[in-house]
Amino acid sequence: MATYTPHQDYHPKTSRREHREWLLFVLFIGPNLFLFSVFTYWPLLYNAYLSMVRWDFLRPAMPFVGLQNYISAFSDPQFWNIIWQTATFTVWSVGLTLIIGLMLALLLNQPLQFRNTARAVVFAPVVISGAVVAVVWSYIFDPRYGLIDQLLGFFGLDSPNWLIDSFWAMPAVIIVYVWKNIGYAVVIYLAGLQNIPRELYDAARVDGAGAWDRFWHVTLPGLSPVAFFLSVTSILTCFQSFDIIRVLTNGGPASATTTLVFHLYELGFVSYDAGKAGVVAIVLFLIMLALTMIQIRYVERQVTYG
Amino acid sequence: MKRTLTRREMLRLMMAGGGAALLAACGSPAGQGSQETQATTAPAVVSQPGSKVKITYWGSFSGNLGEAEQAMVKSFNESQNEVEVEYQFQGSYEETAQKFTAALQANTTPDVILLSDVWWFGFYLAGAISALDDLAKQVNLDFADYEPVLLNEGVRKGVHYWIPFARSTPLFYYNKDIWAEAGLPDRAPETWAEFSEWVPKLVKSDGSRAAFGHPNGASYIAWLFQGVVWQFGGQYSLPDFTMTMTDPNTLRAAQFYQDTVVKDKWAVMSNNLNQDFLGGAIASMMASTGALAGIQSSATFPVGVGFLPRETNFGCPTGGAGLAVVSRSPAEKQLAAMKYIAFATSTVNAGVWARSTGYMPVRISTKQTPEMVEFFNQNPNFKTAVDQLPQTRAQDAARVFVRNGDQIIGKGLERIIVNGEAPSAVFAAVNDELAQGAQPILEDLKAREG
Repeated sequence: MATYTPHQDYHPKTSRREHREWLLFVLFIGPNLFLFSVFTYWPLLYNAYLSMVRWDFLRPAMPFVGLQNYISAFSDPQFWNIIWQTATFTVWSVGLTLIIGLMLALLLNQPLQFRNTARAVVFAPVVISGAVVAVVWSYIFDPRYGLIDQLLGFFGLDSPNWLIDSFWAMPAVIIVYVWKNIGYAVVIYLAGLQNIPRELYDAARVDGAGAWDRFWHVTLPGLSPVAFFLSVTSILTCFQSFDIIRVLTNGGPASATTTLVFHLYELGFVSYDAGKAGVVAIVLFLIMLALTMIQIRYVERQVTYG
Repeated sequence: MKRTLTRREMLRLMMAGGGAALLAACGSPAGQGSQETQATTAPAVVSQPGSKVKITYWGSFSGNLGEAEQAMVKSFNESQNEVEVEYQFQGSYEETAQKFTAALQANTTPDVILLSDVWWFGFYLAGAISALDDLAKQVNLDFADYEPVLLNEGVRKGVHYWIPFARSTPLFYYNKDIWAEAGLPDRAPETWAEFSEWVPKLVKSDGSRAAFGHPNGASYIAWLFQGVVWQFGGQYSLPDFTMTMTDPNTLRAAQFYQDTVVKDKWAVMSNNLNQDFLGGAIASMMASTGALAGIQSSATFPVGVGFLPRETNFGCPTGGAGLAVVSRSPAEKQLAAMKYIAFATSTVNAGVWARSTGYMPVRISTKQTPEMVEFFNQNPNFKTAVDQLPQTRAQDAARVFVRNGDQIIGKGLERIIVNGEAPSAVFAAVNDELAQGAQPILEDLKAREG
């Protein structure tokens, strides 16, 4: 805020104008800032406090334990296991969404018959509730009568016991997550594809570039801002995804699909340990903050803006 | 004359709008329960003489159980003019407890609530549920007629807090068609050793059918395993909260559970046990007697039930849910809540509930009513749980008194069964976690009961 200094007193006109601009700024920003403070910043600070107490949501006493919750979380091998599982889930989900999404977008960008229908079909899962999707897929994954079992049956293969097998449960969650979210990536890619100027392709063709070269030297660089945007939003949403895991596997079997967000839910609302849940929330927050900074710093540099 | 809005007025409006939105947002969490919020600070009598007392009941049943629960509420509301119960479904036992915990923070509590065996105790320690003896006297409720095994679980220091309602025991369920096809006697196995001899005839070698199914942790494997641990001569914990997960007999039971799936491969773990049983993917299972009515009505084959198999001992826990009155409710609503509890667990209605669900009649006198005698004659399966009841006992503290103890043990069992990890290592970790979880409970117990 502008404060009156002797120096400013020499320029009363400028000062009044600055003052008014500041007031206007505060008027515009104020309501939002206030809402953010109440519903975002205050919970964030309160959570930081909760991470340093022992509390079960019921007892009136909230003894302060300092960093003890952090120490017990970080010394628990299960915690690191969950970080690793979260990373696995995120890398595979985002990677597959970006790659398969690109392939689908390229396909749906071709002048095919029923193209619009195909686009609608690909996008449909995005607007279906995650809980519903998870219920449907739990039937598809059933090793005895599920659709996947039937499909594998054509090749004489047995379906793994997807949701009860610690190895297969994570791939199952990733498959559902990618299926559910790929439509969004496809739509964004399609918009990106349509923004690449035709002339670049024409010029490339004149220079004798084949389909592969045109893809590699025109399409891909042209799509890089879109891919950057998608990678940021996908990683952030992936880190926070909860519904599919909750309904499909409930974090199991034997915690094999427990991610940080699910762990946070379990600690907070199953074990009623506000302190440890607070620690996980802080860790999640810091990871997201760090990821966002890295992405903005390093990825943005290599992006070609069309 | 028309006047255009000035910038300043526009901003003022925006401020006002922002403020209103904020107020609305602040109001929403408490909005639904504002009536209750006021009620908790209001004097004891909130209604005019002659008007109905309205109370809220939070329950946890869906499907045919939910229908039976709602029918009970409806018949109560139609039976008298003083109290009107509004039934609100809250999800599973766990979700109901979660919402009640949140409601206690937000001051939006119901008046009467269904709490499962593993949840009522925590709310008792927190002082969130009422002592019921005075209320019972006022509605002439006779505790002496309740099944003592079930009633006494909800008693602390001679005071009643948790009245049995949907109480169960596990039963051994089997598919009679598969049994007949395998040439087995039409009964549940008497011992696990006997069952081990039967299993080769029940399993299909192509993997399409297992002899037996285990539920996962979320579906309370730790409840069923409680009985098995006792059968093997072990236990989860001692009454003084000493954890005994690494007791050799407890570990022997865990090894047995692991072998059924990993080594001998005649059992599977399932995310949807009832469905697998109904679909013939498993030939038998242990499950709550509360599932009996639902399973019998959906099954396309005759369903058999029996006592749990023995090992060195017989062992079978009680389970299920009971009703409690919320201590924050004003006296008048607490009394109304008690009237509902008395109605729902009356001699006649305990029978209605038992016949429509499979849960056990919680009143001794219910068993002698002509309707019940007739029903048991025609549906002997429903009588099995009642016959088994005298041999059951209350569960170990580790599962029902340690917060989340059920899920801690359940997850351990998942690691043992699904991952094939060594029972000794897993249960050592579970033992530590339970012991840690017991600490605050012991402190609270000391504060509450001295």
